[in-house]
Amino acid sequence: MLAGIDYFIVIAYIIGMLLLGLYFKKFVNSSEDYFLGGKSLPFWAIGMSIVVSDIGALDFVGVSGQAYRYGISVGNFDWVGSVPAMLLAAFIFIPYFWRGGMYTIPEYLGRRYNQKVRTIASVTWILFFALDLGVLFWASAVLLNVLMGWPIWISIISTAGVVGLYTYFGGITAVIMTDVVQFVIMFIGGFALVFLSLYEVGGWDNMVDKIATMGPEYRNHFDIIQPQDTKSPFPWTGILFGLTFVMANAYMIGNQSIVQRCLTAKNEWHAKASMIFGSALKMFIPILVLFPGLMAVVVHPGLADGDQALPMMIKSILPPGLVGLMFAAFFAGLMSSVDSLLNSTATLFTKDIYEPFIKKGADDKHYLKVGQITTLVLLVIGVATSPISSDFPGIYVAIQTFMSYFQGPIFAILLLGIFWKRTTEWGGLSALVIGIGFAIFLNVFKERFFTIEDPFLYISWWSFLLGFIINVTVSLLTKKHTEEQLQGLVFSSKILVKNKSL
Amino acid sequence: METDEINAGIKAAQINNALGFFIITFGVIVLFAMIYTETFVEHMTDMVAGLILISIGGGMMWKAKSNIKKLKAKQE
Repeated sequence: MLAGIDYFIVIAYIIGMLLLGLYFKKFVNSSEDYFLGGKSLPFWAIGMSIVVSDIGALDFVGVSGQAYRYGISVGNFDWVGSVPAMLLAAFIFIPYFWRGGMYTIPEYLGRRYNQKVRTIASVTWILFFALDLGVLFWASAVLLNVLMGWPIWISIISTAGVVGLYTYFGGITAVIMTDVVQFVIMFIGGFALVFLSLYEVGGWDNMVDKIATMGPEYRNHFDIIQPQDTKSPFPWTGILFGLTFVMANAYMIGNQSIVQRCLTAKNEWHAKASMIFGSALKMFIPILVLFPGLMAVVVHPGLADGDQALPMMIKSILPPGLVGLMFAAFFAGLMSSVDSLLNSTATLFTKDIYEPFIKKGADDKHYLKVGQITTLVLLVIGVATSPISSDFPGIYVAIQTFMSYFQGPIFAILLLGIFWKRTTEWGGLSALVIGIGFAIFLNVFKERFFTIEDPFLYISWWSFLLGFIINVTVSLLTKKHTEEQLQGLVFSSKILVKNKSL
Repeated sequence: METDEINAGIKAAQINNALGFFIITFGVIVLFAMIYTETFVEHMTDMVAGLILISIGGGMMWKAKSNIKKLKAKQE
């Protein structure tokens, strides 16, 4: 448990976040302000927010733990698993979403295919985000319980209170700007940790030598590419096909909480630059997250749970003050994940479900209120469902698996939708439904098809491939869209030049 | 420069000012935490981290204040 100055820093950070978030209330006067920050935010803030939102506290701990167990191959998730996808998003997809004045990814799918595709995609994301909320509340509560000694329910309610208040009042501006603070603190604390850890293990070469002598299980710790028959979850085939080709692109291009941030940019240049800047920052993440896990192999050998590596390193290596700051950044990482989910789900519900199906053509203030009320309802659902996570320790893994069910098929229809004029509404709809069904089938019978324990990378690849083939086949058999229907929705090389008219 | 652009600029500067204040506060706290350190390396780490936070926060506040001043002058 933390004490003294570090305890004070965590408390000050939580109160400071609340006050900072509430300050942004004065910038929210319309639904565009609430969901898209009034389209006025700069690229550097959005870029930092994308990185922080992508690498939440659970990932921070998890990636260090994976580095402790399997070595540097986990760094693939932030290098080939992010950077190419972010560049593709920046130059091809984001300009279309931004120019189209869209609020959500399903909104694009609705315009490109039909309303059914939009609704299915939106409901799937809403379900996923709502389920994830409870898990994140529970994780935050456990962290506060361990660090501060607060009872679990007090921890859950205080997290919900702080995050709920600033997201309710400040909308996405509060979400992005609190991420900026977290980014700065996480980077400074992270580099201090890497520097002090290297000092502790006697330098990089010394650490490599020590790990090499620790036994055969550490033989592949410094191989970024793992063989296909590796016992780790990262064989090169899964990394290349499942991660680089599908999951990374699906996450950076098709994930509402990531793309929505780019749509808050003040102009198209800033929207693109935010992703490019984010991809540059992303390259540093493995250094901050992976290296401490690797160095923990030398400093704290034989840990039963690899996920303890990072917290142990922070406690044993960092000086007072920075320990509190790093744990505050962890907690802020969890808050950042929660606020992103709240705001993105409110946007999806208001724009894709409420506006088209429940009340069309209402005034803007009405939709702003709906967005805020949805945030509150989600908060209550998240708090109410959080104890379920305590009964199922593997629920986080289960939810990530659920994500792999629909990431592949959604990316298949997004990719064909933008690059192939011939794809039709029935092609998209059948690819989405059959692709998700196939991913569920593969997951249920995974022991029959795959040799590794957690084949989510392979599942996303095969469901993407099937979705792609179904979309092409059905599209060739059904009526194509007219040129007018496709205007501003399919790829044109003009998007790569400065001219904004397509 | 149009009124909308000026207002957007003022909004951005106000946001940066608030962020800068928040970061500077934590820089000061980390500097203060130096008195709890035991070794020279710990002492230096807190000092460098605190000074970097103060520089970033201070820089943001200084830039934001000068932008607000400029934009308000244009507005008048």
